[in-house]
Amino acid sequence: MTVPPQRSSPDLALALRGLVKQFDTKLAVAGIDLEVPAGSFFGLLGPNGAGKTTTLSMAVGLLRPTAGRADILGYDVWADPAAAKARIGVLPDGVRLFDRLTGTELLAYHGLLRGMDADVVNRRSAELLDVLALGADNRTLVVDYSAGMKKKIGLACAMLHAPRLLVLDEPFEAVDPVSAALIRDILQRYVSGGGTVVFSSHVMAVVERLCTHVAIMAEGTIRLRGSLAEVRGERSLEDVFVEVVGGRTATGSELAWL
Amino acid sequence: MAVGVRHFVRLKLRITANGLRGQTWRVVLFVVGAVMAACTAVGGYALLSVPGLLDDQRAAETVLPLAGAAVMLGWLFLPLVFFGVDESLDPARFALLPLRRRTLIGGLFVASLAGVPAAATLAGTLGMVDTAARLGGPVAAGVQLAGVTAGLLLCVAISRALTSAFATALRSRRARDLATVLLAVLAALLGPLQLAAIAGAENADWAGLGRVADVVAWTPLGAPYSVGLDVVAGRAWAVPIKLALVLATIVLLLRWWHATLERAMLGTVGHSGPRERTASAREPVAQLVPRWLPQTRFGALAAREMRYWWRETRRRASLITFGVVGVFLPIFIAVSSGTAGAPTSILVFVGALAAASLANQFGFEGSAYAANVVAGVPGRVELATRVTGLSVYVLPALLAIAVIVGVVIGEPGTVPSMIGTLAAAYGVGLALVLPISVRLAYALPDTANPFALSSGGGMAKGLLSIGALFGAALITVPLQLAAYLADDFWRWAGLPLGLLYGGAALVLGLRMAGSMLDRRMPELLATVTADQ
Repeated sequence: MTVPPQRSSPDLALALRGLVKQFDTKLAVAGIDLEVPAGSFFGLLGPNGAGKTTTLSMAVGLLRPTAGRADILGYDVWADPAAAKARIGVLPDGVRLFDRLTGTELLAYHGLLRGMDADVVNRRSAELLDVLALGADNRTLVVDYSAGMKKKIGLACAMLHAPRLLVLDEPFEAVDPVSAALIRDILQRYVSGGGTVVFSSHVMAVVERLCTHVAIMAEGTIRLRGSLAEVRGERSLEDVFVEVVGGRTATGSELAWL
Repeated sequence: MAVGVRHFVRLKLRITANGLRGQTWRVVLFVVGAVMAACTAVGGYALLSVPGLLDDQRAAETVLPLAGAAVMLGWLFLPLVFFGVDESLDPARFALLPLRRRTLIGGLFVASLAGVPAAATLAGTLGMVDTAARLGGPVAAGVQLAGVTAGLLLCVAISRALTSAFATALRSRRARDLATVLLAVLAALLGPLQLAAIAGAENADWAGLGRVADVVAWTPLGAPYSVGLDVVAGRAWAVPIKLALVLATIVLLLRWWHATLERAMLGTVGHSGPRERTASAREPVAQLVPRWLPQTRFGALAAREMRYWWRETRRRASLITFGVVGVFLPIFIAVSSGTAGAPTSILVFVGALAAASLANQFGFEGSAYAANVVAGVPGRVELATRVTGLSVYVLPALLAIAVIVGVVIGEPGTVPSMIGTLAAAYGVGLALVLPISVRLAYALPDTANPFALSSGGGMAKGLLSIGALFGAALITVPLQLAAYLADDFWRWAGLPLGLLYGGAALVLGLRMAGSMLDRRMPELLATVTADQ
């Protein structure tokens, strides 16, 4: 490489500036600024349709933003994609895996895709399959996995190349409690080892337990952000969330026919 | 309110319209397809009304049943090879609704009549009514109209029942081989028809062709199109028999369709049950990448493509269809044309057809492509590995085709030059298809039927493949000319020249499509991600 890649503020794992996404008629994300400090466990909260997935997709290079920029560990995702993409692991939500491969094959595929040495891929794949209880000698195609197993193999694929930043979209959705506990442990160990996790969720209990920082999104904007203690204050996170998002509360008179 | 046929028709039209909304290039494709269909319809009408204009009853009795049978075979094969079936009304979506089987099948059947191909077929075959009217007056015309309508119903029933049956068969491992054989047998049915057509053209043997037509007129394929002429010829007694034959065939086909649909709707939605495989002691990388590929990014991508061509029903279906069509077509042409030597233009067609399998390569796996985008796979590597994955299956097939055709026509000396022709066509076809696959990708529905396409998709698929075929035929014109004009020269120069030509085209295409892909990865991902 002749020109050294331009790095801005490398102490931020993820920095979004003025990110906008306009679909045909709908403004999905209306200008988001977000800074995720390296080494933090960051929860992005919001109701369905708030624009969480759109935001994360733009942050990792899956969806071209209408305006704004995204930096991963100081590398501009859209100007220098190779440098930025090499440093992240992504678990997209609502996106299929290459599910006609077996779990083992899928891991090997992701490892080689990241330019890893075959020996390292072999060693780490076996370990990941073992830790995530997916069975190292399991020859079932991923398409026949349960929803929870699919999440776990997706997570394994995202972590295989030991990225410094993990971006996980709804990692706990459709995961049974045992697997969820396992994923939590793994992620906590990863953060304590210096990694950064950004994940989206609407399960408040998980967020309260894991996150150091949170941001609450609604209708394409960030409504509230800060460390968990700042956002939550004296109340429960769920109360804050419902208040910020402005959900309606049932009065008991509707749906009387039920 | 009872659910009737019109609800299905309205649903189908509504889905078609919504599919076009806000998608400029889809609208363009739709319009182009509709115009082409209209031209075909007008041409068909003109051609079929000629016997009436000439006032030649014997010609009518020959042309109408044969043309009708050809239309019927078109409905049978084109969906399997080119167009797929418009499954905007996915039968599986109706599984939970309280519908009686009669309502469901009737509705789906009539809804599949509401489309451009059916309208074009009807308009074209109305030329037969014209002929019948000129030869036998209003009664004959009325009877022929009934026949033509029944014929259209039969066309749609045949295409529906067969694609559905194949879809079911291709899903299960055991029935897959059977399906391949069946498809081969069906392709083989083309043979006698071609022999007849070519014999007729060569010898102008109207009497012989007429005898074939008389037989065809008593099969379900030709029967609906000959009833008006029976009135003309004073064989009115034949009309009810033939119509009954056609109706019985339709009912049987619909029953068959229903049976396969039910099997698809119950039990497995989407895929067959879990496939337990025996545990493997090999290392993960060795499980993915075969020994002859490098254990690198390239190897991983190519290996994944190879697996997908066999493990994914849609791709497997197109591979099998290509294998059968690719082997049978040149052989039949070679056999039926007798002494003409190597069937160059058909070989070009076959080579390009192989490449056309990649026309919507990114649509096959849909949003799974996100993994490659996140990993930042460069466009040229991505496309090169996809070509490699397909070529693993196609190149041996092309070799086999050349050898088989060479043996069949009794000129083994032409095998190398035929390989050259096939390679050139395949390379040129790939060069054309790769940019198409990047620019004009479209999402495929997530259903159990590998031939299924969302609304408008059939038009897109057919037009893109046909465009690539024509393009390849045009670009390889110099080679085809060389093969025709300089037979002796081509015999030894065909192989190196063809390989060179195809290789150069492929390199160019890869370069162009690769940088195109580098610029549009996120946009491509968005287009192939099926709308939820």
